[in-house]
Parts: sequence; C-alpha cells; structure tokens
Amino acid sequence: MHGSAKPRKRLVRIEVNGRWCEDAVSDGDLLVDYLRDVAHLTSVKVGCDGGECGACTVLLDGVPVSACLTLVVRCEGRNVETVEGLVKQGRPNRLQQAFHEKLGAQCGFCTPGMIMASEALLRRNPHPSDDEIRAALAGNLCRCTGYVKIIESVRHAAEASA
Amino acid sequence: MSVELANISIARPATIEEAVALASGPDARYLAGGTDLLVNMRRGITRAARLIDLAGVDALKSISCDASGVVVGAGVELARLIEHEEISRRFPAIVQAAAAIAAPGHRNVATLGGNLCLDTRCVYYNQSEWWRSANAWCLKNRGDTCHVAPQGERCHAAFSGDLAPVLLVLGAEIEVAGPAGRRRMPLAELYVEDGRAHLTLAHGELLVAVHLPADGRNAAYEKVRLRGAIDYPLAGVAVAMTMQDGRIESLRVGLTGLNSRPLLVAGTEAFAGRAVDDDLLKAVDRLVQHQAQPVRTTLAAAHYRRLAAAAVARRLVRRLAGG
Amino acid sequence: MSAVYKARTGRQGVPLIDGVDKVTGRALYTADLDRNGALVGRILRSPVAHAEIVRIDVSKACALDGVAAIVTGADCRFTYGVLPIAMNEYPLARERVRYRGEPVAAVAAIDEETAQRALDLIEIEFKELPAYFESKDARAPDAVLLHDKKPGNIEREVHHDFGDLDAGFAAADLVREHRVTCAEINHAQIEPHACLAEFDPVSGRLTVQDVSQVVYYLHLTLARCLELDEAQIRVIKPFVGGGFGARVEVLNFEIVTALLARAAGGKVFMQLTREETFLTHRARPQTDIALRLGMTKDGRFTACACVVTQRGGAYAGYGVVTILYAGALLQGIYDIPAIKYDGYRVYANLPPCGAMRGHGGVNTRFAFETLVDRMARELGLDPFAVRRANLLQAPMQTMNGLMVQSYGLAECLDAVERASGWKERFGRMPPGKGLGMACSHYVSGSAKPIHFTGEPHAVIHLKLDHDGGVTALTGAADIGQGSSTMVAIAVAETLGVGLDRIRVVSSDTAVTPKDNGAYSSRITFMVGNAAIAAANNLKALLTAAAARTLDAAVEEIVCEGGYFRVGDMGQAALSFKEVVAAALVDEGAISVKGAFTCPVEFQGGKHRGGAVGSTMGFSYAAQVVETSVDDATGQVTVDKVWVALDCGHAINPLAVAGQIEGSVWMGMGQALCEETRYLNGLAAHASFLDYRMPTIVESPQIEAFVVESHDPNGPFGAKEASEGALAGFPPALVSAIGNATGVDLHEIPATPDRLLEAIGKSRLKAAAAARKARAAS
Repeated sequence: MHGSAKPRKRLVRIEVNGRWCEDAVSDGDLLVDYLRDVAHLTSVKVGCDGGECGACTVLLDGVPVSACLTLVVRCEGRNVETVEGLVKQGRPNRLQQAFHEKLGAQCGFCTPGMIMASEALLRRNPHPSDDEIRAALAGNLCRCTGYVKIIESVRHAAEASA
Repeated sequence: MSVELANISIARPATIEEAVALASGPDARYLAGGTDLLVNMRRGITRAARLIDLAGVDALKSISCDASGVVVGAGVELARLIEHEEISRRFPAIVQAAAAIAAPGHRNVATLGGNLCLDTRCVYYNQSEWWRSANAWCLKNRGDTCHVAPQGERCHAAFSGDLAPVLLVLGAEIEVAGPAGRRRMPLAELYVEDGRAHLTLAHGELLVAVHLPADGRNAAYEKVRLRGAIDYPLAGVAVAMTMQDGRIESLRVGLTGLNSRPLLVAGTEAFAGRAVDDDLLKAVDRLVQHQAQPVRTTLAAAHYRRLAAAAVARRLVRRLAGG
Repeated sequence: MSAVYKARTGRQGVPLIDGVDKVTGRALYTADLDRNGALVGRILRSPVAHAEIVRIDVSKACALDGVAAIVTGADCRFTYGVLPIAMNEYPLARERVRYRGEPVAAVAAIDEETAQRALDLIEIEFKELPAYFESKDARAPDAVLLHDKKPGNIEREVHHDFGDLDAGFAAADLVREHRVTCAEINHAQIEPHACLAEFDPVSGRLTVQDVSQVVYYLHLTLARCLELDEAQIRVIKPFVGGGFGARVEVLNFEIVTALLARAAGGKVFMQLTREETFLTHRARPQTDIALRLGMTKDGRFTACACVVTQRGGAYAGYGVVTILYAGALLQGIYDIPAIKYDGYRVYANLPPCGAMRGHGGVNTRFAFETLVDRMARELGLDPFAVRRANLLQAPMQTMNGLMVQSYGLAECLDAVERASGWKERFGRMPPGKGLGMACSHYVSGSAKPIHFTGEPHAVIHLKLDHDGGVTALTGAADIGQGSSTMVAIAVAETLGVGLDRIRVVSSDTAVTPKDNGAYSSRITFMVGNAAIAAANNLKALLTAAAARTLDAAVEEIVCEGGYFRVGDMGQAALSFKEVVAAALVDEGAISVKGAFTCPVEFQGGKHRGGAVGSTMGFSYAAQVVETSVDDATGQVTVDKVWVALDCGHAINPLAVAGQIEGSVWMGMGQALCEETRYLNGLAAHASFLDYRMPTIVESPQIEAFVVESHDPNGPFGAKEASEGALAGFPPALVSAIGNATGVDLHEIPATPDRLLEAIGKSRLKAAAAARKARAAS
C-alpha cells in the first residue's frame, strides 16, 4: 500500500435511494465521489470543476444540491436521492417518462441532474408555470436541447400527474 | 477526486462558543454553505487544514422579527431568506438580491453570512493551480504582482456578493463573535478597500447575525450580468429611498461587483429635499460613476461596468420614486 | 411540392431507442465504465505559449512510489492530424511547444494524488520564443514561424474567383462593404473529455473506450502513433455526452492515454478537467471578414467579394477544411452571378481550432446576411423580398460545382414570415423591440471522404437469426443526436416491421463495420441510405423465402405490417417469424450488408479545394428573431424565435425538432454571450462560469417548422437537420438589434459592453451630424 499518512476515516450512515448505507469516508470527501465511486450511482455526473453545471444535482432531504459542493460528512443521517432512485419496479417515474417521450434528453449527460431538479420542483409545486420551471432549472446547463423540450417534458409530467 | 481536499479535517460544533473556540487554532476556517469556499479550496486558492462546519450551529439559523427590527442569523440559507414571508414583506430588496445569486442548488445551502463574507474575485485569481502558476501567481495568491494594475501596491479583486449593497442601504448592523467576545458594528465597517484582505474580521471571529431596521420596503436591487442565472454581478446596485411630499427624504445607493468592497455611495444626503427629475438622476449617475472603481478583474470591460452601474442606479431611483 | 408543418404538432416521431437508459441513469458514459484496477492518467501541460523544449527530466517523478508510467514526446515520434495533408501535431510536444496548455508529458499512477505529485516533480526547461495571439501579429513580416514552410504563419491561403466580378459590381445599383469580427467560441459539450485504455502486453492488444465522434479515425491514428497493427486495436464508443464537433478529430489525450496504457502494461483512465477540456478546444476560430456585395434596386444580388481571416491556433487540425468551407458555403443558397473569395488561415500561439457545428459557414453567413439586411434597408426593400428575389431553381449546379437537388428555402421563408406576423409587425415594433431575419444552409455530409480509400462512404450490417430479431451493426457514432434511432427507423420502415424487432449496435471497431463518423451531418444521408439498402437486401432474402413457402413468384409477394402475403388481397399470410424460419432453412443465421457511396459528380468542383462544400443535398433554413434591448445597460433579451428548416423528409420528426431547436439555440449562444478569451495566451474562459453558454432562464421559446422538399437521393427523401439552422441566428439577432436600436453591430457576441459602446458611438455620430446640419442651415 502506498505510503502517505492520511487522516483517519470516519463512518457515516446515509440513506441513499431509500437504503441505509454505512461507509468509511474521509472528512474532505465530496458527495459526488461517494455516490459515483462508493455507491456506484454513476448517474451523478461530473461536468465542471466545481458547482457550475448542475449535472451532479441530487436531492438531499428532498432539496436539490450540487453533489460536487457537498461534503459527505454533512450527509450523516440524512436522505440522498439520485435519478436511479426514482425508478420503481424497473419503471421510470412520470418525469423520467416525460423526458424520454418528449425528447428532454438528447445526449443525456445533463439529464439526471435536470430530472432531479425538476423532481424537487414538482414535489413542491405540482403545476409550475414555464417561468417557474425556468427558475427551478436555472443552474442546470444543457448543451443539446436549447431547453425547449426540457420545459415541455416538465410541463408534460406535471399534466400527467394532474 | 479532489486532491486538495484529501487531507482536511472537519469539526462540527453545535454552538457559537464551540465554533469560536475551535477556530482559534492555526490554519482553521469557518465553513458555511461551502458553495464558494469548497470551489476555491479545490482550486488551491484558499487553503485550510481544518474546517469549522457551521451547519450544525442552530443559533446561527434564527430569524426574529418584531416592531423594533429584524435579526437574521448569519447561517440562514438564501433559499430560506427568499421564502420567508416577513422578510419579503419588509425587505423586498433582500429577496431580489438573494434570488439573483448563483442558482437554486447553491441557494439551498449558501448562507447570508457566507455571501457577506464572500472572497473577492478576479479573472487572474479564480483560476486553476496550473493557470495561476503559469501566470507567475498574483498579489492575492502567492505572488507579488497584481496583474490588473502591475504598477500598484494593492490587490484589486472585486467584491461580488449581492446582498451586501442591499444591507448597506438598509443601514444594517452586524454582530460578530470572537475569542474576545461579541461586538456589534455597522455593516460598512466589515469591509476595507483591499482585494487581498477586504474583511476586518480578526482570526477566529465569526459573523453571527445581521440586525435590520423594522422596515425597508422602499428599496430595490438590480444586477447586471450576461446570463439570467449563475453569473456573479458585473455590477450590482441597491437603492433605498424615502419620499415626503414628492421630494426625497433620504436616498442611499449601494454598489457591488465593482470595488474590492461593497460600497455605500457617499454624498447622497445632499439629495434630500430634491425632486426626482432629470437633473437629480444625472447627479446620481455622476456620483456613481465617480465612486465606482471597476478595473480589469472581469472579462467584461471595466468601463462598461461603471456605465451600467450608473444606468441601473438611475433606473432604480426613478422606479422607487414611482416614475 | 414541399410540405410544411409545425414540428411539434405534425407527424409524430419516436423517442430515442436509448432514451430510457438516459433518463434512468443506466446509460454508461466513458467516466462511468468499470475502472477497477485502472491507473489514473494525468497530463502535464505547457505553461508557456511558444518555446523550445531544452530539457525534460522525469527521473524524480519516475522514482516516486506509485508511479507506473511516464511518457513524453520521446515516446511518440509520429505526428497526427485529421487531414492526411496536414498532420503536424504530436500527442506530446517534441522540441517545441506552441500554446499554453499543450501536453508535454503524462503520468499514470495508482491514484490522483500520486499522479499530481509526479507531474509536479517533472522538470522542464524552456527557451521562450515570441508568441502571437492575434492573426495580424502572427502575420507580421518579422514574426517567428510556428511551423516550417509556412511563411507569414499562413497555414492555407484560398483564392477562388467565379463569374465576372467586375461586371457584377458594375451592374449593381448599390455596392456596400462591411467588416465584421466573430469571436472564437467553444463546443462546451457538458461531458468533459475522458478515455479508458487497456493494453495487454501478452497479446499486444489495445482496447480504448472513449468519447470520440470518429471511432474509425481514432483507430487509424492509434495504429499510426503507437506503431501497432490495426488488427491489434479495438475502439469502443460508450454513451457520449455531446460532441458538436469537439470530438470529430483525434485528440491528444486519447493517444496519450493509449501511450500510458502501453507503457504501464495495463489499464489507464484519463478524465480531463473542464479547464483541460476547454484547452483541448478544436472549435470555431476567431474570424475577421470583409464582405462587399452588389445589389440592384429591386434586390437582386450582382456580385460578392469576401475576404476571411481565421485565427486557427497552433496546429492544423481541420483548418484547411474550415477556411475552404467559409468560401464554398457562400454558394448553394442564393443565386449570385459572381463570387470572389480570399481566405487566410493563420497560425497563432493558442489552442488549435477545429470543426464546430455549422463548420466554416457560420461566420461568413453572419457577414453576408447582416449586410443584405442593411442594404435592403438602404434601398427600402423588405428583407424577405430580397431573399425571395435571389432564390435558386433546383436542380442546378453552382459555379463552384456544388449540386443542389432539392431546395425548400421559399417554403421556409413563407413559414416563418407567416408565423412571426412579419408583414404586420416589422417596422411597427415599440421602442426597444426589434425583429430580424436571416437564412442559412448546410451540407448533408461531405461528399468526398477525408481518407480516400475507394471504399463505400457508409456500410451497415444486418444480422437476423432464429429469434426473428434484426440487429443493425453500424459504426455511426450516436453522440446524442439520435443516429442509432434513425438507423432503427430506416431498417424497420423498409422491412415493414415494428421498432421493437430492431436492435442497434454501434461504434465498436471489433464488431461494427467501419464508418467515417459523426461529422458534416453525414449520418442520416449516408448511413440512412446504407441502412435502407441493407434492409432491402434482407427483405429480398425474406421475400424469396416467403415465395418458396407460399409457392408463389417473388414479384407476387407483398410485405407489410409484419406479414408476407401473395398479392394485395392474398389470403395466405405468413408472419415475419414464419418467414424468418423459412429463410434460415439450409442457411442458418443471415448476415446482409448495405452500402452507400456518393457518386463522383457530387464530389465538387475541379478547382483546388473544390471537394470542400460538396454534398448530395443541402438543408435550408429561415428564421425570425424577436428581441428586446435595454439601451441603458446594453442587455439583449431574445423574446422568441420562429425557424423553418428544409430537411428533405423528417425520418423522426421529434428528433428533427430537437435538432432544429438545439442548433438555433447554439447559434444564440454565439450571437449573445459565448466567447473564449485569452490573457497572454492563457485561456481565461475555461469554466462554465466564464464561458457563458445560455442558461434556461434567458433561453427563448423556439417555434420550429419542418419543410419537406423530398430530396431525390436522400433516404426517404431526407437531408440533414442538425446544423443548417444554426448560422441564421447570429445575423437574425444582430439585424433585430439594429431594428430595435438603429445601431448596426459589427461584432459578435452582442454582449452588453459591446452593444453599449456601439450605442454610445452611434449617438455621438448622430449628435455630430445634427450639429453639422444646424451649422449648415
């Protein structure tokens, strides 16, 4: 094993997509790396060098945050949701289905973060206006769609659950 | 995957006193929302061996409102500030400024105190380790030259928090806790015009609360930026104005994104008693242009930021006058 | 006759066949692959813009515990580059570095921290040379040359002269010239570059999984640079998070990762940061254009002279093609009797430019359409009327040898004029609001391949076995544009079966037939035609089997809806699976292929560089942009866009609409806020905070219309749909800003600082003119 003395790890308990996980982490570990490398939830994407693109958006106690700006130790005892967790019995939820049907996803790289930010919006506000959708997704960059079909997808999901 | 964060340790105090005690050690820093600090640490421009995480300090998270005034804990998240009914009723400008910061994901964790203590920014500073090393560092970080003004002695990095100018024009005071106890002072005294060390807080001192007057309804904030979200202000302007019988009773203008500190424009008391007409607007414009000192800290032209600040100041004064 | 319908309410399209994987998080991109046991690769980049490398010492880094391999320029003596005529780049610099950020050495180590420490221990001594960051400085007579035998630091000069220019200008009632500058921009695909390479020293085989749009070129280049037999290499493209041209040539980090994997004798994972992804660049160059146009008083173009200077960066890349496209695409959209083009591609000490969506044509289109708009205003003509006065008549051949077989521009103009209410609203907008319009076009695949081998331009394999499922094997790289879905639709429609019977396997050089890749919008046209050909070959086998079983003649067999019957009224019907079973008797699993080749008459003019711009079909677009301008702060808001695109035939209307919207929006980014900026050659834009692609907040509603002109050679009549509309946005916006403010901008992006300065200048000019008028009276 390679040499340099690292600070001791500590155990954290985090509820990830409905399942409690207990893992040893370093104080400086970021949630994005924990989710990708330890929990193997690779939907949580890295698109920038820190906090600029929204591709790693996950829900922390139901609130959208950038996993790349979140220390894992801050998630102790809390609930984290990723886009994998929205799938029930193999079926996409209403938003995932809408993003699929309405072509809200082209290359798909921003999609998991985009869907998580949208999910938080619809839970809080089941029938948002287009401007409310825009405000909620303001931190999620997409390079493919021009956002037109993303707005349509969220609107469609809201209508589908009416 | 962040090498720079690999060796830090985190302390998670529950009270202000614990936090202050922990922070007195060398190489320790307070961590509020982390949306700026963690990015800066990953880039190697801010270094700390130990972070004092304030997220668990409940005393920093209260908002209390009564007839004498409003006290907001420094640890209140921007999203909570925006959604707080009493705050939006009494201080619409605070909500306007908070809602214009970064993006929703940031605002869910970023705090009032964090935004007030935001590090200054510069195109030569907010870059990767490779970039800064290739550019022989800079006065604010490891170097001895300010690339913005190489002949000068000081760092010109610009303060870019959105809330400070609003709180300045509202006449806010801040409460600070430190190893030597607590003190209270006008917000303006938190800042000095030095991009390298723009905060007057001593080592280990913590901003704990902001004290606001009972009411600040006739104030507004507007920010000039390229995009509708994410961007820091190229220029941000707050104006608070009261009128009596169609004449100005008091007028205050606050600026951000321009100087190394948020600036309360001096000399506006001379406008008391005047009507809001073209001459007054021109005078406001001149005053802002004179005191705003943007330099080449952003990719947008400095001269533009000065003009835009003045234009927005004019517009807000006119709007608050009901015109 | 062309059909026009609104993309959103017209014929239904189908969701992407891999869409569910994307929305559920199952889709694996390069960085998501199994990295178990992989070493971490990192690149050391030049801190200086132009220098000789005097010495590189890696001994201290090599001695560091946990370092598995270090490679430098000494480890690869072969140049690479996408154009066989212009390979002048090493994956790791040898002898000289030419831009800040150029890879110089690389490390593979057991973890990121060790890799970083190793990079810090590499010692390099540079002897600095003068560096040039602007075209004019690089072209100065005494400038040091970046490359041998490239005097004046000109990579390529182009001088094309078609028609009688003097006669054309003489026939004009109005001749105007303007100069415009378009800032350099970047693709900014959201997925940063990444590569996973594995080398097995026992078998000598190299497997690379990577973000490439051009898997075949990568395969070829790895063989060249690593001196491996091509048969020892396998390149696989996992899901790719966008390209837009960023990955249409082989990139240094791909070769470097392979070099590291071989040196370490194992698996190396390289993930570039966002900053490094920006430094890798290869996007649209900073461009200066001087354009002169002659027009009659009824709006007919008489002549056009255009001088283009592109600041190409430090290496060739696609540069020759870009500078040729910039001239070639002046043609093929309007009837212009004489066109002279002079192009200069300049080397500078900056990251190399390359191809980006709308390759080569976007900036000249900006110069052209804005000048047309300004001349129309001067002549009192409606911008739509001017375009209509100069339409082509298809089929035709342009002066530079381009073939126009289908042409739906007139219908595009009609559609957006009507939808935007142009006739009622133009010239009657309230203060601060404006309307602008422009047209654009783009090729449906470059008719001449980059590597001329004599092979077809596209090949598809179809495999059919006992299960009755059809697997389409294609090298076409789906990078999010939906090309795999297009292949599935083409095969299913031709066979008359449902999409659920089709599987598409794409972009694995051990499995799929060679394909040139996702560039120049070639896939729908070429691969689509190959897919139809393959499906027809398969259908012929199945029809023969059905005929045998039903005891009928092959010509009598009708196949539709998944059934084969004799004649239209045939009572005896066989299901698809029954026919498959019959076809497999004595044969076993079936493999057929289909191929497509662009005939030589479509491959462009005979003049030097004449192949660039050649295509079998151009897409055409028209758009109207509505804008609001805040003249106090110079901030521009795009209120709405109406766009119509002639894509021949929409194979998948849903995907076509998505491509139109995305391309228009990307044009908006270039027009409004995106630009790269360098401080002494250091990229100061290399983050999503400083490279300002639009957020959802300021992104407008885009109303998209599809025009179907049914190209005689396109698959089902289709042409490209993803690039043609882009180039129209910047001129339409700048014309709309002019309409709103009376100020003619000559620069993009139209950032508030540029606009406010232009407004200020224009007010000063107006005031001076007023003073002069007063003095005169």
